[in-house]
Amino acid sequence: MKTKIASLIALFLTTVAINAQIDRSTMPKPGPDPVVKLGKPIKFTLDNGLKVIMVENHKLPRVSANLSIDNKPYLEGDIAGVSGMMGSLLGRGTKSISKDEFNEKVDFYGANISFFSSGAFGSSLTKYFPEILGLMADGMQNPVFSKKEFDKEVQITLDNLKSGEKSVTAAARRVENVLTYGRNHPFGEFTSKESVEKITLKDVINNYNTYYKPNNAYLVIEGDIDPKKTKALVKDLFSGWQKGEIPAYEIPETKNVTNTEINFVNMDNAVQSEIAIINNVDLTLGDDNYYAALLANNILGGGGTARLFMNLREDKGYTYGSYSSLRQNRYAGTFRATASVRNMVTDSSVVELQKEINKMRYKKVSAEELENSKEEYIGGFVMDVQKPRTVANFALNIERYNLPEDFYENYIKNIKAVTLDDVQNAAIKYFRGDQARIVITGKGIDVLKNLENTDYIIKYFDKEGNPTTKPAMTLPIPAGMTAENVVDKYIEAIGGKDKVDAIKTTMIVSNATIQGTPLVMTMKSSAPNKTLQEIAVMGNVMQKSVFNGETGYQSARGQKMDMQQAQIDEAKANLVPFSDMAYKKGALNRIEPIDGVNYYVVQFNDTEVFYDIKTGLKAKEVKTVKTPDGKEVKVPTTFGNYKKVNGVLFPYSVGIKSGPMDLNFEVKEIKVNKGVTDADFE
Amino acid sequence: MKKSILSLASALAFAFFANAQQVEFEEYDLSNGMHVILHQDSSAPVVVTSVMYHVGAKDEQPGRTGMAHFFEHLLFEGTKNIKKGEWFKMVSSNGGRNNANTTDDRTYYYEIFPSNKLELGLWMESERLLHPIIGQDGVDTQNEVVKEEKRLRVDNQPYSKFLEYVKENIFKKHPYKGTTIGKMEDLDAATLEEFLAFNKKFYVPNNATLVVAGDIDKAAAKKMIQDYFGPIPRGEEITRNFPKEDPITEAMTAKGYDANIQIPAIMAAYRTPSMKTRDSRVLDMISSYLSTGRSSVLYKKLVDEKKMALQAGAINASQEDYGTYILFGLPQGDTELKNIIAEVDVEIVKMQTELISEKDFQKLQNQFENNFVNSNSSVEGIANSLARYNVLYGDTNLINTEIDIFRSITREEIREVAKKYLNPNQRLLLEYLPEAK
Repeated sequence: MKTKIASLIALFLTTVAINAQIDRSTMPKPGPDPVVKLGKPIKFTLDNGLKVIMVENHKLPRVSANLSIDNKPYLEGDIAGVSGMMGSLLGRGTKSISKDEFNEKVDFYGANISFFSSGAFGSSLTKYFPEILGLMADGMQNPVFSKKEFDKEVQITLDNLKSGEKSVTAAARRVENVLTYGRNHPFGEFTSKESVEKITLKDVINNYNTYYKPNNAYLVIEGDIDPKKTKALVKDLFSGWQKGEIPAYEIPETKNVTNTEINFVNMDNAVQSEIAIINNVDLTLGDDNYYAALLANNILGGGGTARLFMNLREDKGYTYGSYSSLRQNRYAGTFRATASVRNMVTDSSVVELQKEINKMRYKKVSAEELENSKEEYIGGFVMDVQKPRTVANFALNIERYNLPEDFYENYIKNIKAVTLDDVQNAAIKYFRGDQARIVITGKGIDVLKNLENTDYIIKYFDKEGNPTTKPAMTLPIPAGMTAENVVDKYIEAIGGKDKVDAIKTTMIVSNATIQGTPLVMTMKSSAPNKTLQEIAVMGNVMQKSVFNGETGYQSARGQKMDMQQAQIDEAKANLVPFSDMAYKKGALNRIEPIDGVNYYVVQFNDTEVFYDIKTGLKAKEVKTVKTPDGKEVKVPTTFGNYKKVNGVLFPYSVGIKSGPMDLNFEVKEIKVNKGVTDADFE
Repeated sequence: MKKSILSLASALAFAFFANAQQVEFEEYDLSNGMHVILHQDSSAPVVVTSVMYHVGAKDEQPGRTGMAHFFEHLLFEGTKNIKKGEWFKMVSSNGGRNNANTTDDRTYYYEIFPSNKLELGLWMESERLLHPIIGQDGVDTQNEVVKEEKRLRVDNQPYSKFLEYVKENIFKKHPYKGTTIGKMEDLDAATLEEFLAFNKKFYVPNNATLVVAGDIDKAAAKKMIQDYFGPIPRGEEITRNFPKEDPITEAMTAKGYDANIQIPAIMAAYRTPSMKTRDSRVLDMISSYLSTGRSSVLYKKLVDEKKMALQAGAINASQEDYGTYILFGLPQGDTELKNIIAEVDVEIVKMQTELISEKDFQKLQNQFENNFVNSNSSVEGIANSLARYNVLYGDTNLINTEIDIFRSITREEIREVAKKYLNPNQRLLLEYLPEAK
C-alpha cells in the first residue's frame, strides 16, 4: 500500500515536471515534510542499579555497547589525573586472562574495546558480540592493577604531558578551565607533572574501588541484537558487579568576574591567538528557557551562517571559523565565544566578538533569523532522529536528566514556540559580555601593544593558570650582533658596498601636499657631507637649507640664518649621501616587533633607526627633538617603496610626521652622480 | 582443531555478508558527460546530494600550491541566482548541512537535507557548476580565511608539518611534492584570472560525478537531475600528463623542524604505487599488521614491551598516482631515534623473510571485514565512497567488491610486497625535531 502511494506521487511529480519549465532563478520549493518516527528503546534495570538501554537495528551486522558511569564530579586534588590513570590501566589483564591474551582476542575479532575512568566501550560484528561484551565485562569487573603496568603508565603520562607542553591550543584550554571554574573545581583542575608524580598504585586501586560502581551507571547496547537474548547476556555478565557507597562531595560555586577583563597567557611559539570569551551559566537540559537559549546561541555562533562566522570569517577574513557554544551542565555550565586568529588581528577580533555578543543582548534578532535558526534545528532533528545512536542518546538523556518521557516528542513543538523576546531574554541572561573573561593565549610581543588600547584591564597568567607578570616586549639581541653588523646588512640589502661607494652625488625630487597645497622638495647631496634641501611651492622656493661640509645656513621667505655650532657639529656627524654609514658608530639598542615585523633598533645620538631584520632595509627613523618649551617630541620619518637606481635601492615613499602634520613625499626623480655641482652648496 | 572451526565459521560469514551488505546503486552519464550515481535507502528521511570533481592539488601550476583548495572556498561565494553570503544560510535554514573538502586528487562538495529538499540540493550544486560568481572581493577575503586555516591546522599544531617534509623529499617531479594547503606566498600570488581559468578548465560536467543518495524516488530524481544538470554545456576534455618519478635507489635523510613540539619523532617513508594497484592494498594490510590494535607488532614491541616509544605506527597514505608509506615513532624517555628505526627494521626484515602466522593472517581478515561493515554505516559515507570509487578508481562497484580483493591477498603476497617496497635503500629517514629557539 505504502509503495503504491509513493509511486503514485512519483508519477504525479514526473508529470508536473514535464509540463512545467524549470525556473532556476528562484530557489525550488520543498516537498511535504517527511514524517518523523521516534524509535523506541527497551529499558531495564539490574538489582545493582545498572540501567540498561537497548536499541534494536538490523541495518548492519554489528553491535556496540557503551557503558557510562554518571557519578557526580569530584575533586582529585594533589593527585589530579588519578582517575584517568585508573581508566588507562583497565583492560590490562583480569583475574582470569592476561593482558596479552586479552588484546590478542579483541584484535583477532577485528573488534574494539576501550576503558576509561567513567565507563567502557566495545563494538564488533554481531557474530562476535557475546565474546566482546564478555571481555568488556570481565575487564571492568575483575581488573588486575600491577606495579609494572602502573610504572609504565606513569612514564607514558609524563612523556605525553611533555609532548603537549608547547601546544598553544592545549595550554589555552587548560588555562581557560582553571580561570572559568577555579583550580579547586573538578572541571578546573588538571593533570600536571607534579600531580602525576604523587599518584601511587594504591591511589589508583582506591579510585577504582570507590568510583567504578554500577550505582549511577548506564549501559547502552545498540545494533543488530535479539533483545531477549541480549538481556539474558547482560544479566549474566553484569549482575555480579557490586554496588558501593560513593562519597558525598559538594561542588564549589563558580563565579563570574564583576567587570569584563582580559586574561592573557603568553606563548612565544604562537602564530595564532586563541581567543575565548567565557562566562559561567546556570543552564540544564530541560530548563524552561532551554530552547530559547539554544536558538540564541545558534544565531550568535552556532555555525557557518551565524553572526560570528559571517562577521569574523566571511566579512573580515580574521579566522577560519568563529563560533559560540552554550554548554548546559547539571553542575557548572558555560557560555563561550571563540576564534583562533592571526596575531595581528587579535585586538580587532576581540572587539568584533564583544560587539556581536552585546548586540544579542540589547537588540532583538530579526524574525527571519529566528525562523531560519528554528528550521536548522528542526531539520537536524529530523535527519538525526532515526539513527540508532540518537535514539539511544535520547533515552539516556531522559534517564540522566529526569526528563518527561515525551520530552523529545515535544522537541519540535517547543522549538517552534520560542519568540523573539525569549531569545533576547536568554541572551541577556546567558551571554555576559559585561562580566566575561576574555582569555587570550598568544604571542604577547606581537599582540599586547594593541590589546592595551582596548577598554579592558589585562591580567597575566602562565601556562598553568597562575598569575604572573607581563611578558618582555622586546626580543633578546643575538650574541655578536652590533650596530655595525646591522648597517652592513642594510648596505648589502640596498645593493652592496661597491655600488653604494660609487655614488658620489644624489639629487632627489619629491612631491607632497600640505593642507591641499602641492609642494616640491629637492634634495641634493655630495660626498663628503654637503647637503642642500629646498622646498618650493608653485615654483617659488619657500625654504632652503645648505651645508657645505664646514658651514651652512637656512633661509625662509627671504630671512637667512647662519647655522649654530651645535647644528654644524650635528651636520658634520652625518655621512652623506648615506647617513647610515655614520650609524655604525651608534649602539644596537633592541629588537622590537611592530605589527608582526621584527626590527633592529640602532640608537645614534638623538635618533633611533629601525632596520627590518628580514629584508635588512631601513623602515623608519625617529628623532627626539626638544620644543622651545622644553618638551621632548618624537618625529618619525618612514621609508618605503624601495626602487633601484644605478643598482642601489632608494626609498620612493618617505613620510614625516611632525605633531599633527602628516607629510607624505612621493619621489618623482632620482639622479645619481649627475645634476649636482659644488655651486649648489654655496 | 579450534583454528579450523574458526576459519570455517568466518568463511561462512563471508558468504553471508556479501549478500547482507550489498550497496545497490544505479549509474549513467548525462549527454554532457556528467556521471550520475543514484543510491536509494529509505531507512531515514535524509538525502545527500554531492559532486566530486576530478581536480585536486596535483593539478595546480608550479608556484601556485594551495590553488585547488583555495578555489573550493570560492565556490561558496555565490552564483548567478544565489547571492553572495546566501549559500550557507540557504542550507541551514532548510535544515541541511553542507561542506566540501579537497585532496591532492579530487574536490568534493556535499549537502545533506531532509528528504523533501532533494530538488534544492540539486539546484544548488547545478548553480555552482553552471555559473558561479567569482570576484576579487571573494578572493581577498578567502585568501585570509585559507591562511587562517593553515595557521590553525598546520602552523599552530604539534606534529602537523611532517607530511610537508616527507612529500618534498619523496617526490621530486610529480606535483605530490607540494601540500594541499599550499604555501603562504603561493596563496598570496594567485590572481582572479587564474581562478577563472581554473574554473573553466576543471569545473565542467565531463569532469564531475554527481551522487544522489538516501530516501529518494529514483524516477523523480532522474527527471530533476536532467532538468538541472542536463543543459550545462560540456567542457573541453582534460588531459593529464603528470611527470613520472624515478625509482628511489639510495637512502635519503632529512631533518624537519616544528616549534610546537618537545618530543621528536622519526619517520621512515617509502614511495609506493597507486592506490588502484593490488600492491597498495597489500600495503594496507601490512599497516594493519604493524599497527592496528594493542596486539599489533609495533605497538606491542615498541610501546608495551620495550618501552622505547610513546607511539609507533604505520600509515599507508595512498593516492591516485603514487602512495607514501610512512612508519613512525615518538621516543619514550631517552630512547634514541635511530634505535627505534633499528627495531622497526627488524620487524620488516622478518616480514620479508618469514610468512606471518596463520593466526595473524586470520586477524587481518577479521579486521578488514569489520572495516568493510563500518565503512558503509551512514548514507553520507556511502555517497562519498560511491563518488570516490567512480572518480579515482574508475569502478563504482568497488564499494561492494574491494573487500574481495583484500580477502584474496595471501601471506606470500604480504611477504613479497614487503620485499619489493620496504627496503632501506628505497626510503627517506626523516628526523622530526623540536625547533631550536
